[in-house]
Amino acid sequence: MLLLQFFVSGVATGCFLILATIGFSLTRRVEGFLNIAHAELLGVSAFTTWWLNSHHGWHVLAAAVAAIAFTALVGLGIARVVYDPIRHRGPAVLLITSTGVAFVIGGALHGLIGTGIRTLDIGLAHRYEAFGLRVTSHQLIVVGLAAAVSVSLALFLNRTRTGLAIRAMAVNPELAASRGVNLSATSRATWLLSSGLAGLAGVMLAVLATLTTDLAFAQILQILAVAILAGLGSLYAVILSGLLVGVAMDVSAYWIPAGYRPLVAFAVVIVVLLFRPAGLAGTRDA
Amino acid sequence: MNTTKSICLRLFAAVFALSLVAAACGDDDDDEQPATDATETPSEPAATGDAEPTDDEPAEPADDAEPADDMAEPADDEPSEPAEPADVGEITVGVLVPLTGELGEFGKIVADAIEFGVDEINAAGGTRCGTIRTVVADTGGDAETGIREATNMIESEGAVAVMGPTSGVMVALVDLAHREEVVIMSPYAGTINLNELGGNFVYRTVSSDLGDGAASGLWLSSRGYESVSFLIQNEESTISPAEVARAEVLEAGIEITDFIVYNPGQPSYQAELTTVLANNPDAIFLAGGQESGVTVIKEAVAGGFEGEWLFTADLAVPEIFDAVGAELINDKAFVEFADADPSLPEFISFEERYDKAGDPFAPNSFDMITLVALSLEAADSCDGAGINSTIRGVAHSDGTKVSTFAEGRDILASGGTINYEGASGPLVFDESGTVSGAYTIQQAINGEWVNVEFYPASTFDG
Repeated sequence: MLLLQFFVSGVATGCFLILATIGFSLTRRVEGFLNIAHAELLGVSAFTTWWLNSHHGWHVLAAAVAAIAFTALVGLGIARVVYDPIRHRGPAVLLITSTGVAFVIGGALHGLIGTGIRTLDIGLAHRYEAFGLRVTSHQLIVVGLAAAVSVSLALFLNRTRTGLAIRAMAVNPELAASRGVNLSATSRATWLLSSGLAGLAGVMLAVLATLTTDLAFAQILQILAVAILAGLGSLYAVILSGLLVGVAMDVSAYWIPAGYRPLVAFAVVIVVLLFRPAGLAGTRDA
Repeated sequence: MNTTKSICLRLFAAVFALSLVAAACGDDDDDEQPATDATETPSEPAATGDAEPTDDEPAEPADDAEPADDMAEPADDEPSEPAEPADVGEITVGVLVPLTGELGEFGKIVADAIEFGVDEINAAGGTRCGTIRTVVADTGGDAETGIREATNMIESEGAVAVMGPTSGVMVALVDLAHREEVVIMSPYAGTINLNELGGNFVYRTVSSDLGDGAASGLWLSSRGYESVSFLIQNEESTISPAEVARAEVLEAGIEITDFIVYNPGQPSYQAELTTVLANNPDAIFLAGGQESGVTVIKEAVAGGFEGEWLFTADLAVPEIFDAVGAELINDKAFVEFADADPSLPEFISFEERYDKAGDPFAPNSFDMITLVALSLEAADSCDGAGINSTIRGVAHSDGTKVSTFAEGRDILASGGTINYEGASGPLVFDESGTVSGAYTIQQAINGEWVNVEFYPASTFDG
């Protein structure tokens, strides 16, 4: 039963990783580089939620919606101002620049927020028990959101014109352009979507965690682990990868000290990449 | 229209790029203009007007930059000759604290208390080596940053002492202190690593974590618990006291259901809490920082834990009640931390003078700078080696008891010896440069921390 409890916890951990990584992977596929600043966008959203909720008394849902929208615009703004002008210099330059952007966002957050801890003005999570297993309302929200985001994103990418354009641009931008896809508009839609997803993950970070200005960037290693494990092939692989890493990390605590959980995440990545060098989903396709 | 838009975008990009460069180069300022560095706090014998030159003479930075070196030279050449009390410029000490990150609140407390001590010393006329100038830098709690900033303070700013590092940074600075012959001191670095490494150029005005662990263990053993779980943040400063406490608790015959070392910076600690909640102990000993600690407390209570808590010093702040929700921990939570003996007249006097009385580690920080200043008075040279050679004798001797810089300086000037009785307690450095300490246990009552037990240093003798 204890092992099952670790599994339940792992599913919730994995679902948070899915939320945190799916936007990162979308940017990676469409824009072609690892946007290290993505983790700091979680911080932008988390602190915006905190500011509206704790400082201005907004209901957490209203604060969350505003924070997600604001984060999406911040992400788009950064893309337009910083990344677009240097896009032609290639993914390595973009990656290094995104690291700089992460430092700028982190510094700005620290300058605005200051030291110490921050928490949302929300109640304690409720506890539900069934079959000897325990789950909290916060864990259920994370799992529900991850499922909703996964389904919605799948529908968006497969059923809408913009979604299909994003997929086409991810596979072959030149061919997509020749077929009438507006690359600039598609890129903007991608940044809005991926940054909005970072915003959603940031809201959940604020709900679950005790915020410090360092906390968001602390998630980047696990985001990278999930994204690398997923590979370039498909966004659906991010879902599988997130669950795999989350469950492996938490279930491992049944046998080995919990302090080794991050190590387990990367051990899973290494083992999988030994057998599938291109990640769970293989190479870039649809 | 498009052209204008494009130019605007490019301008914006340029400004952004410049900000990136500025962020990357932020701390690399040369030492030519110390008085204008934003991280520096010029010494303030405020009422005397001696501080003015640093503000009023930006055109002559070289003169300002030299005094520390000038101080050091005569000492090297003429070590046996007592220093001249004449008109000398400034002597620099570094204040190396975490102003950002999780321990930022504590770093600010330490920096403020040091500054208060500097103000008192400079108002009394300064040391024979000059008025004290502080150079402040933020480590963020990071050892690598600490080494870089300390090196800058010593080699560029001429600091003769560096005060305020946290445990991990202190350990990282030991080699630098020995190599540069500069004293490093901390008011809160309890790590047991310094029990081996400290003692020569490395001092602390707080007791070792072994003492914190012993006090925690003593408290846990006295509560009548049958089982206790240990949740320990993966940091040197939390693991060492927890191990001491564990030994104490085991010796008392109490079952330890879990001893879990966890990593901070996680959105959730449910995995770590799974076995703890399954074992349902009478109490949880939580040795963690504020970020992880608050989340652990909330998740444990949400998970059904109804027992008592014992926290370590990081959670001994009022903000915890807002962050956690006072109703969750009222009457059930206790916190243990190294503390000054509130009955000491030196402590009472300090609390009356200092307008931020009650700040944890403020007396220890004040004692640090006062000891450095008195050591300079007693030393043959105005450098780290001079401080290192006299600090033990100033802190503890058969000489006249003093509790302020001015008293000590006058006695030393007349050829006497002094025994500095600190605001944080008697400061007797052992071989490792560590003082013995006293500890307070507070309980969460009606949204405040209230003293419920005090363990004087004598509790742990033998």
